[in-house]
Amino acid sequence: MTLITFRKVLSGLFFLLFLMLFAGGERLSAILSGILPPFQFVPALLRTLAQPAALFAAGLIGIVVLTLIFGRVYCSFLCPLGALQDLLIAASRKIGLRPRHAYRPPNNLLRYAILAVAAGALVAGFQSAVSLLDPFAWWGRLVTDFVLPLLTGSYNLAILAGKPFDLYLHPRQTPFITPPALALSAAFLALIVYLALTRGRLYCNTVCPVGAFLGLLARFSLFRFAAEKNACTECARCAEVCKAGCIDPQNAAIDMSRCVACFNCLDACARTTIRYRPQIPAVRFEDWSPARRRVVLGGFAGGLALTLASFAGLRQMLRIPSAKAQTPVTPPGSGNLARFTSRCCACSLCVAACPTAVLAPSFADYGTGALLQPKLNYEQSYCDYECNVCGRVCPTGAIADLALAEKKLIAIGEAKLLEDICVVYVNKTNCGACGEVCPTHAMRFEDRENILYPEVDQRYCIGCGACQLACPTTPRSIVVEPHKTHKRAEKYPEPARRPAPPPTASGDDFPF
Amino acid sequence: MKEPQKFNRREVLGKGLSLGLLVGGAVILGKTDFLLGQGPSASLPDLVAVKNGEPDALFKKAIDLLGGMRRFVKKGQTVVVKPNIGFPRVPEVGATTHPLLVKTIIESCYAAGAGKVYVFDNVVTPTAGNARNCYRLSGIDEAARAARGIVVPVDDFSYREVRIPGGKKLKTADVHGLILDCDVFINVPVLKHHSSAHLSIAMKNLMGIVKNRMEYHLVGLDQCIADFCLYRKPDLNVVDAYRVLMSQGPAGPSNPHFADVQIKKTLLVSQDIVAVDAAAARIFGKDPEDIGYIKIGHAQKSGNMNLKDLKIVTYAM
Repeated sequence: MTLITFRKVLSGLFFLLFLMLFAGGERLSAILSGILPPFQFVPALLRTLAQPAALFAAGLIGIVVLTLIFGRVYCSFLCPLGALQDLLIAASRKIGLRPRHAYRPPNNLLRYAILAVAAGALVAGFQSAVSLLDPFAWWGRLVTDFVLPLLTGSYNLAILAGKPFDLYLHPRQTPFITPPALALSAAFLALIVYLALTRGRLYCNTVCPVGAFLGLLARFSLFRFAAEKNACTECARCAEVCKAGCIDPQNAAIDMSRCVACFNCLDACARTTIRYRPQIPAVRFEDWSPARRRVVLGGFAGGLALTLASFAGLRQMLRIPSAKAQTPVTPPGSGNLARFTSRCCACSLCVAACPTAVLAPSFADYGTGALLQPKLNYEQSYCDYECNVCGRVCPTGAIADLALAEKKLIAIGEAKLLEDICVVYVNKTNCGACGEVCPTHAMRFEDRENILYPEVDQRYCIGCGACQLACPTTPRSIVVEPHKTHKRAEKYPEPARRPAPPPTASGDDFPF
Repeated sequence: MKEPQKFNRREVLGKGLSLGLLVGGAVILGKTDFLLGQGPSASLPDLVAVKNGEPDALFKKAIDLLGGMRRFVKKGQTVVVKPNIGFPRVPEVGATTHPLLVKTIIESCYAAGAGKVYVFDNVVTPTAGNARNCYRLSGIDEAARAARGIVVPVDDFSYREVRIPGGKKLKTADVHGLILDCDVFINVPVLKHHSSAHLSIAMKNLMGIVKNRMEYHLVGLDQCIADFCLYRKPDLNVVDAYRVLMSQGPAGPSNPHFADVQIKKTLLVSQDIVAVDAAAARIFGKDPEDIGYIKIGHAQKSGNMNLKDLKIVTYAM
């Protein structure tokens, strides 16, 4: 098996796994989220900074070590957005669109500037910059926004087709994506398709901060691609297949900081002058150039930023107060607003996995510093009392993985009854829709002249929104207001059990 | 080759004429019961109550005393069994119909010659995940399938709007197509406490076949529950009072350990939906006079709540 086949098989496998992570349903998501995200750079970094979870820290170290040994294999094997671009490029070559790549000089200023911005944003807790650049987050949003609705839509259509034959299945819920979030995803999709088709892996080499950071490491990797200058005929076949555009055939030079280790050049070279093997990087002092100085500077800045990022106190101090006065309800396990918005990478995995589809990407509801982070959308759905999937799948730990018994007591908000529009108070007729669905017995009913008036007992309310969804009035007479810092609800006291009557306690008589 | 003719014209005319005379005469004389192959109506009760047995034995005894399942289900007919699967609760909570009862009814329908038996309920909070949980946790999904019942999940597309003749507050309802298209509709509610309607029994259970149930809450729960019975009453009501949730209804606590349940091991069957609700209210320990929709249903002549006027057969095992 050649290295190319190896790469194609492995990246194809990971591509499918990452597809299933987001589109495979809540159970598969929960399983895969324990395996895949530790080996995704940004989620692993965010998780390790906040709470050095063993697996995530190990994953992060693993990625760094892997890069130091083999170069940016991460970008060709592990990154789902990279695999997506490879598929687009392969497809465009198949149909004869843009068959050739070419060398392009590096844009170091832009790429290290973006890296520095991303790292700085991470320090400041300004997550938007991270989530708008991170390839994992974009992959997640693309699948959640486009693939998942397509899959659930066709699944539900297929169910309809089975009905005449008495084949019945439960339909699936399609996530609700707010129009601005969807527009942003569509714009990015257009950009990534355009870039892949016309410029190969330009996104990975100029925009992606993970690519830029790993590129810094790959400069010094053990295994390197190198062309034998004397044997090279400058036929440029290698440059034509190089998606990264990092092979300069005129000088027989290969820029390891931009090489994504796809191995295409090995097969293309007619005289096999390109080799991939352990080599000591020959650093020559005459190579010093302004560009390189920028590289070092950028690397230094990035490194410093990452070091600083580990000091939570500093992050707290530097955080830009950007949230709006009335923020949305955050998922159970997110603790408080500041904690949540500074840790979430907006990958939408919780949105994809949420079985009631109550989680939806926000747009600027949390302020400009936390674009696209998920919120509970109580106009569409409610948070299921018996579910803790969002915490189980969250790759960054922004939503803590709470045990179900614990999650049932976390108050993420509280229901406010608006007596001036509630039908029971206004019309004096029984309704009780809110009480029917309340899972914690927070809804109490006071019987006045055979009319049952609802009241909220805030001791037990966890703000799940079931009442808001059930309320039949327009606008709703009961709405959940968020707790910026989540609280702990009281446990509903167990009702005194009646003494179990003997099986024939009431004898053989009937009350009629 | 042509199919041999089974009837000649004269035979058809003759048979049709005599059958028409027979049926027409019977209807005029008000004695339709013998057409159904039953004895004189005087011997059949209006309501049967059975107690002190397991759900399957209770039902078999009760339907026997009511004249047998063949009275309600004919060969090849399509039946819908509508239990209460409204909440994601295990059977021990008493918020949903006993799965063994549902299974026994389906078996009984097939034994009577039913072509297809569907099982359906429009759960409260009908999101896809919740509906799946309700069907699964209640044990009804499994029990119904075991008896070859066709379990139909909730979707948005199967409802058709119907007009409620004489409805005071409920003028139209979006009713599930299964109910509209079936031959026999068997209502299998569970008797339980209800926070805003006092009790949930047979009439209340019909909110699970309409899509616009929230409209009931909005314009007046009791009146709407009673109004729907003006459109269609079930062909048979089987009230499950085996495990009765006495408080915290209609959902009950999610932990069955905390459920305020009384084991009454009782079952009621009747064609009269108002009568069966009145009798069940008595079983619960409430006066039917205090239940709004029962009183309205009686006043709107959907049934008879005065149990003294009815022929009731009771049986204790």
